[in-house]
Amino acid sequence: MAILETRELVKRFRQMTAVDGVSFTVNDGEVVGLLGPNGAGKTTTLHMILGLVTPDSGQVLLFGQDLAAHRAEALSRLNFAAGYVNVPGALTVEENLTTFAHMYAVRRPRQRVSEVVDLLDLRDLRKRRVRLLSSGQQTRVQLAKALLNEPQLLVLDEPTASLDPDVGDRIRELLLRLVREKDQAMLITSHNMREVERMCDRIHFMSDGRIVATGSAAELSAAYEVDNLEEVFLRVARKRTRRDQENLKGAL
Amino acid sequence: MSTAVLLPTGSAMARRRRVFAVILRDFYVLRRSTARIFEVVYWPVIELVVWGYVSVFLQTRQVPAVATTLLGGVLLWQVLFRAHSESSVGFLEDIWSRNLLNVFAAPLAVSEYLTGIIAFGALKLLTGIAIMAGIAFALYGFGIFSLGPALLPFLAVLLTMGWALAIVTFGIILRFGQGAEILAWALAFVFQPFAGVFYPVHVLPPVMQAIAKVVPASYVFEGMRIVLAGGGVPWSNIGIAALLNLLYAAGALWFFARMVAKVRANGGLSRFGE
Repeated sequence: MAILETRELVKRFRQMTAVDGVSFTVNDGEVVGLLGPNGAGKTTTLHMILGLVTPDSGQVLLFGQDLAAHRAEALSRLNFAAGYVNVPGALTVEENLTTFAHMYAVRRPRQRVSEVVDLLDLRDLRKRRVRLLSSGQQTRVQLAKALLNEPQLLVLDEPTASLDPDVGDRIRELLLRLVREKDQAMLITSHNMREVERMCDRIHFMSDGRIVATGSAAELSAAYEVDNLEEVFLRVARKRTRRDQENLKGAL
Repeated sequence: MSTAVLLPTGSAMARRRRVFAVILRDFYVLRRSTARIFEVVYWPVIELVVWGYVSVFLQTRQVPAVATTLLGGVLLWQVLFRAHSESSVGFLEDIWSRNLLNVFAAPLAVSEYLTGIIAFGALKLLTGIAIMAGIAFALYGFGIFSLGPALLPFLAVLLTMGWALAIVTFGIILRFGQGAEILAWALAFVFQPFAGVFYPVHVLPPVMQAIAKVVPASYVFEGMRIVLAGGGVPWSNIGIAALLNLLYAAGALWFFARMVAKVRANGGLSRFGE
């Protein structure tokens, strides 16, 4: 069953088209990656799914319902974490999680906070202020916040960008375990191609606001006749760069 | 799955919990910040002490009724100013801590968010005002209850106006970014000259008097002087102020809703994550 469906999403910022007719689905228990070079439209697409940006046209269906018409209901069943968003640093880990547990109307906030604290290995840090934690620990707090409501869809925008390889690997393990055990779906953006290869069942490559290729890591590598996803990424990104350069020459 | 761990989204209990989340968050921020606790009482007390002794001095020069009207003005102005600034700071906390996207991506309705911020701002304000009223009585013998039955409607008018200005401030900051945050402290002062806080409105030039007629607070400060001079409670003034406040509150909510829609449309909300 499709948990998320985007239909022909379009978003323009003044003259620039950030997202241009993006359609895809995320099914129950599926991990889907949105990849692409900087400025490809990945974050704008995620923000439309989260209700932070209104599409100029097109539709976001979450759990079969139109996001625009059922915002609170839809958002209560998903959650998100991103490298560029923080929780209030003056508060302790536990205070932050308690606040968000109430914000998502979790039935037993204390119990649920205790569960996610254990899940993310934050028990020893729960009385510490978030601003005093390392970036890796702060990322774990963000993920703990994102798991409080047991979301059916977890939206992650470059979740492991600030983590060292060891912590990053552990986080990936944990996220995959959650997907398997809880049948959660995940939509993820990342510039770490090995991470995407390991985690994603399906990948959409974006460039210039459009999805230019879709498939599993192996299918994409085969389609572009390269060995791995990183080379697919380079092909997509450099094709765009060449076009930008040609456009620039034309303009001059 | 999430339906098992969550209250039904549209239920009254879930709505209360989401409002409580905002209040709780602001409480934690206050509890963790000595500077914020200090601010609740510091500026009001300094202002009260300075204006209090100015009025004591003027009274020794036989300027009639100056002490009570100045002190009443100081106290009531603080209600308006702090209703505006305390709530605005609550909103700014989310921007300063880069938490705004977490809040707007949560199932929290805009009305629940505003209710939470304003409710906690009111709790802080009442604490500050209670301390100020105690000091005014201890140092100058001025009891705020000398305003009699007019006190509650006066407070209600000033609180509502302060909150309306706060909601406008939230909208401007959302639309124009953190560069506009100075408004969290400055916007209320735009209205001070017209509100007749320390002088009667009739001393103003005609143009300013005309503007004062559409400032709800001006009816409170005029009314305060009438009550302190021994006149009756000017209920008609309070009625006009209440009607104006309805317009201010409706206008503020409309403006905020427009600004939220605007920043969702132009991508401005995403900017708060950068």
